[in-house]
Amino acid sequence: MIAQLVLLAAVSLPDVSAVVGPPNSTPSSGKALEEHTEQLSDTIRCPVCQGSSVGDSPSEMARNMKQQVKELLALGFDDEQIILYFEASYGEFIRLEPSKKGLNALVWLAPLIALVLGVILVLKRLSGAPKVDHSQQPSQGALPDDPDLARWVLKVRQEVFGWPDGEPPEEAS
Amino acid sequence: MNRKVLIIGLVLTAPLVWILASGFGKNPHAIDSPLVGRAAPTFALRQLNGGETVGLTQGGQPTVVNFWATWCRPCVQEHGVLTAAAARYRGKVKFMGIVYEDTEERIRAYLQRSGAAYPTLIDEAGKTAIAYGVYGVPETFFIDAKGHILYKHAGPLNPQSIEGYLRKLTQGSP
Amino acid sequence: MISIIGQSMILVALISAGAGSILAFISAKKDSAEGTNWARRAAQLFAILLIAANFLMVYALLAPDFSVGYVAKVGSTTVPTWVAVVSLWSSLEGSILFWGAMLGVYVLVSVRDLGDHHPEHLPYFLGVLLACGVFFTFLLAGPANPFTSVPNPLTEGPGPNPLLQNHILMIIHPPMLYGGYVGMTVPFALAMAALLAGNLGADFVPRLRRWLMIPWIFLTGGIVLGGWWAYEVLGWGGYWDWDPVENASFFPWLTATAALHSVIVVKRRGTLKIWSITLILATFLLTILGTFMTRSGVFNSVHSFTQSDIGPTFLVFLAICFVAVILALAARMDRLEGGAGVRDVKSREAMFLLNNLFFVLFTFVVVIGTVFPLLVEAIKGVKISVGSPYFNAMSVPLGVGILFLMGVGPALPWGVASVERTKKALLPPLIGGVIGLAIALPLGLTNGWALATCFAGGYTLVVTTQQFGLGFGRRGLMGTISHLLGPDRQRFGAYTVHSGVVMIIVAIAVSHTMRSHSETTLLKGDSASIGPYSLTFIDVENTVEPHRRVLAARIAVQQNGQPIGELRPAINHYHTQREPIGTPAVRVGVLSDLYLSMMSYETKSGKLGLRAFINPLVSWIWFGTLVMVFGGLLAVLPRRQT
Repeated sequence: MIAQLVLLAAVSLPDVSAVVGPPNSTPSSGKALEEHTEQLSDTIRCPVCQGSSVGDSPSEMARNMKQQVKELLALGFDDEQIILYFEASYGEFIRLEPSKKGLNALVWLAPLIALVLGVILVLKRLSGAPKVDHSQQPSQGALPDDPDLARWVLKVRQEVFGWPDGEPPEEAS
Repeated sequence: MNRKVLIIGLVLTAPLVWILASGFGKNPHAIDSPLVGRAAPTFALRQLNGGETVGLTQGGQPTVVNFWATWCRPCVQEHGVLTAAAARYRGKVKFMGIVYEDTEERIRAYLQRSGAAYPTLIDEAGKTAIAYGVYGVPETFFIDAKGHILYKHAGPLNPQSIEGYLRKLTQGSP
Repeated sequence: MISIIGQSMILVALISAGAGSILAFISAKKDSAEGTNWARRAAQLFAILLIAANFLMVYALLAPDFSVGYVAKVGSTTVPTWVAVVSLWSSLEGSILFWGAMLGVYVLVSVRDLGDHHPEHLPYFLGVLLACGVFFTFLLAGPANPFTSVPNPLTEGPGPNPLLQNHILMIIHPPMLYGGYVGMTVPFALAMAALLAGNLGADFVPRLRRWLMIPWIFLTGGIVLGGWWAYEVLGWGGYWDWDPVENASFFPWLTATAALHSVIVVKRRGTLKIWSITLILATFLLTILGTFMTRSGVFNSVHSFTQSDIGPTFLVFLAICFVAVILALAARMDRLEGGAGVRDVKSREAMFLLNNLFFVLFTFVVVIGTVFPLLVEAIKGVKISVGSPYFNAMSVPLGVGILFLMGVGPALPWGVASVERTKKALLPPLIGGVIGLAIALPLGLTNGWALATCFAGGYTLVVTTQQFGLGFGRRGLMGTISHLLGPDRQRFGAYTVHSGVVMIIVAIAVSHTMRSHSETTLLKGDSASIGPYSLTFIDVENTVEPHRRVLAARIAVQQNGQPIGELRPAINHYHTQREPIGTPAVRVGVLSDLYLSMMSYETKSGKLGLRAFINPLVSWIWFGTLVMVFGGLLAVLPRRQT
C-alpha cells in the first residue's frame, strides 16, 4: 500500500509550464469552467479525426485532450497558453482557426479586400451610363426612363392588363 | 479580344492550378512534428508490471521512446526490431515503450507471448502522448544525451532504419 | 464477356462524343443544319451508350460477375441487393461511370428540349457538351476503367466500403448530388453557346434559366442530404463541418444561385448578360474543381476513402476548361453587352447586384478557406488548418445579409423608384422583424447574430407573404391561388424557395446558438437529465455482423416525467477501421431533436459514456429544404400554353 502510494507520488507528467510559462489567468471551476472548456475545445483540432474539433469528436485522443483543456483551465492557464501548448506538440495544424500572423493574415484579409473590390465594382455598375443595346429589343418588363412616364405605364398595365402591381407575369418559355 | 479579361482570368486561375498541383505527392494526413530539434518533454510513468517509475529526465543517456498498442498491426510487426535493437545497444541507449489507448490486460498478454526487453509504461489520460504530439501509432522518438529530440519516426521501423537512427544517436559517445 | 461489351460501349461512346463535338463546331462555323443534325445524333448515341453501360455494370454487380474489374473491387455475394446496386457509385471507377449515365440522361433530355428552337446556338451547345463528354469517357476508357477484365476471377469480393453500408441515405445522397453536379454541364454548354454565338436574347434566356434551375434543385437537395448524413450517421451532433468535400458541393451552389438571380435581370432589363454568363461558367468550373478536390487525394477530408490516381488528369482538364472559358469570354464578350443599365440604387436590379456581390463573396471565402492550407504548405512547408471557426466567422454576416436582402429586394420595384415609393415598400415589413425579435428574445436567444437573423427572417417573411398576396384585393383568395399556380407559377415557385431559405437560415442560427448538451458516465440503472428529458441507462447489446460489431446502449427516455420510449445510440467497430464510428439515436421533433451519442463503454466497469444534445429547430432545416425543392419544381415545370 505504502509502496503504491510512493509510486503514485513519483509519477510525473510532462510539465505544461515548461512550455508556455506559468498560468496567466485565474483558476476557474463549475459551470463557467464547463462552458469555457466547450468553447475552447471547439477551436482545437482533433489530430486523429477528419477535421473535427476536440470538443465534437468522440475519439479517445480527443476526449483526452478535452480533459486536459479542462484541467489546464482549472489551473488558471489562459486560452492562448493552452493552444500554444498543443501547438508545441502538434504544430499549427491544431488550430482550427488559423492564426493571424505572417502568411496566415492573407486568409483573413483576402475576404475584406474582395469585399472592397466588389463594392467598388457594384458602385461602378450603378452609376454607369446605359449602354447601347446591339442585340435585342428591350424585354417585356422594361420601363421608359422617365420616372413619371414609368409610373404611368405601370398604372396602365395594372388597370388594363390586370398585372399585379404593374409587373408582367412570367411568360411561358 | 478583350485583353483585360484575358489577363485577369489567367492571373486568377494560374496560381490556383499551381497551388492544387503542389499538393500532389504530399500526404495530407501526415503532420510534421515541431518537436524535432527541441527539448523532449520530461515525464515519469509507472511501469506495467510494477516497480519504480521510469521516465525521461533532462539529460542523461540517449533514449528511444516508442508509442504503441496491441491493436496496431505495424506496432506488432516492429516489436521484434525494437527488442533486437534494445539488446544490441544495451547500456548505451535506454529504450522504453509507452502504451497508447490500450488496456493493461491486452498489453500484458501480448508481452507474455512476445517478450518484453525494456520497460513498458502506462500513460495517464494520454497526457504524454499529447505532449509528444502523437497522432497515430507506432511513433518512435530518438532523444539524445542532452535531452533533445533528434528524430521522430512515424510508422513501423525496420532493422535498417532503426540502425541508422541509433548510429546517429550514439555518435560521439563511447 | 461483360468486360468486352462494356469497354466497347465506352469506346464507341468516346468516338461518338469526339466526332460529334468536332462536327458540331464545324457546323457552327459553316452554319450547316445538316452537320448539326448529325452532331445531335452523335450526342444521342453517346448518351444511350453510357446509360446502357451503367445498366450493364449494375447487372454485373447483381450477378455478381467477378471477372469484371470493378465488381472484383467492390462486389460481394453476401451484401443485400440495395448495397449491390449502390456499390455502383461507391468507388471511383463506378462513380465516374455513374457520372456518365447522369450526363447521358441530361444530354438526351436537354437536346430534346432544345429541339430546333435555337438553330444558332445548337451546334455550339452540342460541341461544348460533347467535349465535356469526351473527357469523362476518356477517363472511363483509360485511367478509371471499370470494365477491366480480371484474368482469374475469384468467387468472392470485399463488398463496398463498410462505412457506406451504414445507412440508406447512400441510395439518394450521391445520385442527388450528381444530378446537381453533372447537370451543371448543360447550363455551362448553353452559356458557352450564347457566348460563342454572340446571342443572349429574350428567346434564349428562359431556356438557360430552366436548365440552370433543374440541376440547382438537385444540388440543393444533395447538399442538405449530405448534412443530414453527417447528422444522422456520423454522430458528432452537428450537420455541417466545412470539410473540404462539403465545401466542394457548396461553392458551385453559391454561384449557381447568384446566376439564377442575375439571369432574371437579363430577362427583365436585358442587362448583366456577361456577368450572368460568367457566373454560369464559374459554376461549372467549380464543379470540376470540386470533383478534383474529392478525388485527388490532395485534401484532408472525411471523403478520403475515395482518393485515386486520376488527380493529375482532372487538374489538366480543369486547367484546359479555365483557359477555354477565359479565351471565350475575352474573345466574345464585347458582342453581348447591352440593355438599360442599372440606374437607381433603390431599384430591384441594384438589389440583384448586391445579391450577386454577397454570393460571390461567399463563394470566394469558401474557396479560399478550403484551398489556403494547401497554399501555406506549398510556400512554407507547414500544415495549418482552416476550420469551422473561420468559416462561421465569415459566413454568418454574409448569411444574415443575404437573408435581409431577400426581403429588401422583392419589396423594391424595377427601374427607378421614388423615395416615397421606397419608404412605402421598405418600412412596413419592419414589423415582421420586430415580431421575429419578440418571439426570439423571450425564448432565451441572446446571441447578437442569431437575433439579427430572427429580425431579418421576420422581415423577409412579411415581404415574401406580400409577394404571394399580390393582386389579392382584386382576385380574392381562390383567384389568387389559381393565379399563383397558373400564369404566375414561376414567381410563386421562386418565393416558395425564399420561404424555405428563411426557414433554413433561422433554423441554423437557432440550432447553433441554443443547443444544449451534457456528457455523463452512467452505470446500469443510472439516470442523467438534460432539459425536460431524463435518460436511464438500461443495458448494452452486442451484435456481431459480417463487417462490423455493433455495441448499442438501451436508454429509456422520459420527458417531463412521462416515459416516451427507448433510444439506442451505438458504436460500430468496423474491421477495416481503427476508430470506431458512432451511430447516434435521434428523436426528431418539430421544435427540437433529442440526440444521443454513445461515447464509450468499458466492459469491466460497466461504465457508459453518454453524450446528449438538445438540438432546436434542426428539423426545420430538412423541412425548409423540401420547401425549397418544391418551390424549385414549381418554378421549372412546364405549364400548359394558355
